[in-house]
Amino acid sequence: MRILKEGEIEYRFEHPDDFRRFVRDKRSRKPEPKLHPAKEAVSAFVSDGDYLVYDFSSLTRGPQSLIREVIRQRRKDLWIGAEFTLHESALLTGAGCATRIDVGFLGYGSYIGQAVCEGKVRVYDWTNGGISLRLLAGARGVPFLPTRDLLGSDNMAVSAAKVIEDPYTGLPLAAVPALNPDVAFLHVHQADIYGDARIFGTNLFALEAAMASHRVIVSAEEIVEPEEFRKDPMRTTIPYFLVDAVVHAPFGAYPGAMPARYEIDLPHIDILNGIRNEEQMQKYLHDNIYSVADHEEFLDRRVGAAKMKELRGKATIVEGYR
Amino acid sequence: MTRMVEFTDTEFMIAQGARLLEDGKTFFVGWGIPQVVAILGQKLYVPNVIQLFEFGAIGPQSVLPFVRGTMGGPQNTYRSLQWLNMNWAFAYSAAGYMDYGMLGALQVDPYGNINSTFLGGTYRTPKRRFAGSGGGNQVASHCWKTIIVIRHEGRRFVPKVDFLTSPGYLTGPGAREKAGLPAGTGPYRVVTSKGLFGFDDETKRMTLLAVLRGLDPGEVVRDMAFRPLISKDIEEISPPTEEELHLLREEIDPSRFLIRGERMSAPA
Repeated sequence: MRILKEGEIEYRFEHPDDFRRFVRDKRSRKPEPKLHPAKEAVSAFVSDGDYLVYDFSSLTRGPQSLIREVIRQRRKDLWIGAEFTLHESALLTGAGCATRIDVGFLGYGSYIGQAVCEGKVRVYDWTNGGISLRLLAGARGVPFLPTRDLLGSDNMAVSAAKVIEDPYTGLPLAAVPALNPDVAFLHVHQADIYGDARIFGTNLFALEAAMASHRVIVSAEEIVEPEEFRKDPMRTTIPYFLVDAVVHAPFGAYPGAMPARYEIDLPHIDILNGIRNEEQMQKYLHDNIYSVADHEEFLDRRVGAAKMKELRGKATIVEGYR
Repeated sequence: MTRMVEFTDTEFMIAQGARLLEDGKTFFVGWGIPQVVAILGQKLYVPNVIQLFEFGAIGPQSVLPFVRGTMGGPQNTYRSLQWLNMNWAFAYSAAGYMDYGMLGALQVDPYGNINSTFLGGTYRTPKRRFAGSGGGNQVASHCWKTIIVIRHEGRRFVPKVDFLTSPGYLTGPGAREKAGLPAGTGPYRVVTSKGLFGFDDETKRMTLLAVLRGLDPGEVVRDMAFRPLISKDIEEISPPTEEELHLLREEIDPSRFLIRGERMSAPA
């Protein structure tokens, strides 16, 4: 196959056979209880230098409590891959955890844009479709997948996508390499103690990320009986043998919304949007993350029962979420 | 004396966008203004438009009022035909099912190439960094007709974009096909806060088609950093109607978070 054009950009890649061997040798198929406090799960499965991917964002169903735990444990040199890297990218960068980001959509607020300009964090623009497709390739056990976008754009030069000659039509075609992250975070509506998990509503790439990653941490609003999954298999998003740890995390998407459970806390989002400099960032991190021991204490002392009740009450649309 | 109607530049762009939609067609909705265009359009002009969002909502009928910050939440995935994920959303567009797409832009060039990534400096050391493509690159690559929405400020209309985030006609006729993009696709209209542009069939260059009632076409193109073609028959665009403004202000965005902008007026 002819390569017509390629960028010279660093990118995360693993030979599909290496990943297959990892799946064969290191991923247990035994149904074992995996319910852990976030502190233990993050400590066990997230290391300095890891590539981390997560489904959805700080606005909706993002794994915010797990991300705060990563920040609390002061992980270093993370490479994050996220389509909607909203406030997470700013917080992980401001806390000194993330040094590289594959995007996606790089928002929100001026802090993260400024961090890119100052060289605090390196960004690689793969586009949303590019990252989804890389994870699908990683989940599908192939070294790359082709697509008819990215072509003709400058994203081609600032990612490691290549233009190849299509063996069937002879036309130029974009190829993106498989992505097999070290660890994936998924925040879900329901999980059992073995890791079977359900997301209600749409997702970005939940199953792709879970299959393509070496380790998967699921945080769940609710822990349900394993029998529930067997009774209604159409609703299983992730089967247990893809999951390494389950964390029970009510309000785990806070300050974002959890569809049909609680609404977004807009005043808190506005605080995040308003972070413009290092001082404001460090104050936010201190007030909301470093100064509390864990997610439970954060909810208890920083969010409060009244606020949680208010946000639950605002989640009036439940149709379709079951 | 002519009665004047007052509105914001954002309201005018949203109303124009909504009037461009075609009923019974599919519409790939980008983040921000296009979301509001889709809602207004569906309420007033195109009840059977099929909205599609990159986060996997196929055919939703958005709830009012629009809640800012919602992305893939219950409000903009409400009463969908189908809930999926991103790879399937872009499968719909890549296979040719999406008739229209709509995207915002920081900069646009004469061929409708979009920059939404950075301004000034270089990619590694930009002067100002913005969100980047998101799914915009896929929308502009796959949809049959892409509509660009951009505030009419001269510095946004440049001979060459600082970064080509989402493809227009690239360097001219045939360039998209030569690059390998799906045949027969490309930018269709550019909605601005002063007028409406299309693309010349032969040269694929941006062409002024219409201006807001009361504006002079020469004035509209004067401060643009490139000189667009100008249609022989410039049409007049009516300002936002009472019905459009009422829906936008009272029902869709009562907090005025999305529709706020620079104040404008035009003869009613």
